[in-house]
Amino acid sequence: MTYFMFLLLMALVVGLVAVASNPTPYFAALGLVVAAGVGCGVLVGHGGSFLSLVLFLIYLGGMLVVFAYSAALAAEPYPEAWGSRSVLGYVLVYLLGVGLVAGFFWGGWYEGSWVVVDGLKEFSVLRGDVSGVAVMYSSGGGMLVICAWVLLLTLLVVLELTRGLSRGALRAV
Amino acid sequence: MNPYVLMILLSSLGLGTTLTFASSHWLLAWMGLEINTLAITPLMAQHHHPRAVEATTKYFLTQATAAAMILFASTTNAWMTGEWSITDLSDPLANTMFMTALALKIGLAPMHFWMPEVLQGLDLLTGLILSTWQKLAPFALIIQTAQNIDPLLLTLLGVTSTLVGGWGGLNQTQLRKILAYSSIAHMGWMIIVIQYAPQLTLLALGTYIIMTSAAFLTLKMSLTTKVSTLATTWSKSPILTATTALVLLSLGGLPPLTGFMPKWLILQELTKQDLPIIATTMALAALISLYFYLRLCYAMTLTISPNTTNSTTPWRTQTTQASMPLALFTMATLGLLPMTPAILTLTT
Amino acid sequence: MTPVHFSFSSAFILGLMGLAFHRTHLLSALLCLEGMMLSLFIALALWALQFESTGFSTAPMLLLAFSACEASTGLALLVATARTHGTDRLQNLNLLQC
Repeated sequence: MTYFMFLLLMALVVGLVAVASNPTPYFAALGLVVAAGVGCGVLVGHGGSFLSLVLFLIYLGGMLVVFAYSAALAAEPYPEAWGSRSVLGYVLVYLLGVGLVAGFFWGGWYEGSWVVVDGLKEFSVLRGDVSGVAVMYSSGGGMLVICAWVLLLTLLVVLELTRGLSRGALRAV
Repeated sequence: MNPYVLMILLSSLGLGTTLTFASSHWLLAWMGLEINTLAITPLMAQHHHPRAVEATTKYFLTQATAAAMILFASTTNAWMTGEWSITDLSDPLANTMFMTALALKIGLAPMHFWMPEVLQGLDLLTGLILSTWQKLAPFALIIQTAQNIDPLLLTLLGVTSTLVGGWGGLNQTQLRKILAYSSIAHMGWMIIVIQYAPQLTLLALGTYIIMTSAAFLTLKMSLTTKVSTLATTWSKSPILTATTALVLLSLGGLPPLTGFMPKWLILQELTKQDLPIIATTMALAALISLYFYLRLCYAMTLTISPNTTNSTTPWRTQTTQASMPLALFTMATLGLLPMTPAILTLTT
Repeated sequence: MTPVHFSFSSAFILGLMGLAFHRTHLLSALLCLEGMMLSLFIALALWALQFESTGFSTAPMLLLAFSACEASTGLALLVATARTHGTDRLQNLNLLQC
């Protein structure tokens, strides 16, 4: 389990390196998909299977699909993947930087810090993170109302931003 | 824009700031900042011309980044200390990161580059909201956390902001850019004194809001965005021209006007704290700012337009805009200095 | 600093550096912003799980809702920019400089 978590955490960082190293947006979206999938794995490993499901369904299933779709807006004649020269340079620089900082902290990581803390695994009927939903529908109801208001606000914001001078949203794109 | 939509946007602006004011948990404070950013975006892009959309994009990117950094700083603090409340930001790394993010959010000097460009792309009323109401929520956060932040960082941000705010405005001919640089300089004055006397920061913020509201409303009334058109306002409304010069001098901080009050008290506080060099630097930086305010006054009141007028002066028609807020803010900008003892008693 | 803390911190900082230093497309900037939000989601969720304060696991869900709002606003701005500037390259956003 420890080795598996180590691999997942490393894959998370590598996924963000793949996004941050300035490739063409399709490839950056691919890197973000990898990072989000790995993030789901990290959460499952820590006992948060419900949060992992939320991340998978909403983030990966909802938002990233829209991002992958709008990558069509940024289509380039010569797409740059991670193999092309400038992007590869950034990838190497970022990986080297992360490696150096990790080496700086390496001494402080005793064996116990690698063990996954999952105290809620054994004796509870429900998983611990489900209680977050219960909080959201009981004492945290105000936050839920604020969230609903913000979603309404975002709907209007998006409509107003894309409206333009009486033209359809897809005309000029 | 549909009035219902406008109502929802404006009330969301109110909700965001109120949420940040009322919160003691970092997550709610972050939510308030996000609501503010989201709600002002369509107001900024409401005319849909390229400059407005560009300004909106730049504003959105900087504000979203700054808000994410604030949440990341508080998460780091929570991982280190286990505390989520705003006043307990005690981890030094988290502190520095938070202050950097907040400087990006309100446009303090090394992170100020978005501010003149964004303000230049907006219409005057949205610019007014951007430079007054949107500053309140970040200042609520900074006043609660300022005691933990490294004093060197705060002093550096303050001095750099006043210097850059003076320097950057020197070569500008666009009034909104000049007001943006004036905003940067005033933010510097507020930040420099925050650890010694937070009530003076609030006082400076209040007077800045009054003065900049008067300036923006004046420009809105006379429909000017450039120095060259400012030079012809005398033919449209002479009395407004006279008060505009005084409003600008008040922004610059000259004695019989309101703008002198915060500068005077802040300089006094810095001297009391045995920081004469910083106080001198601030006073000299205010002098650079004063130069471009004076240049505006000169262009407006002491010159006439260099064009040969091939018509008689324009009709002085009655304006259809509401002039009551302008009158109130102008009066407050020009005459609050005698109230200094009362205001000091109220704030301390 | 535990390995988990190190991983999401470096993920966030990588996203921030990507956003700050080199962006060709507006969409890449938005993707970097999403990457930062992803690492914040993981950070909040892991905080709730590791410190066993399970009531706090509401926070990542709220964060996800807000970051969805932010992403959709960003994409709306992408459409608006593509319409007014003809492209989504960030070098073309230069009308306001002087």
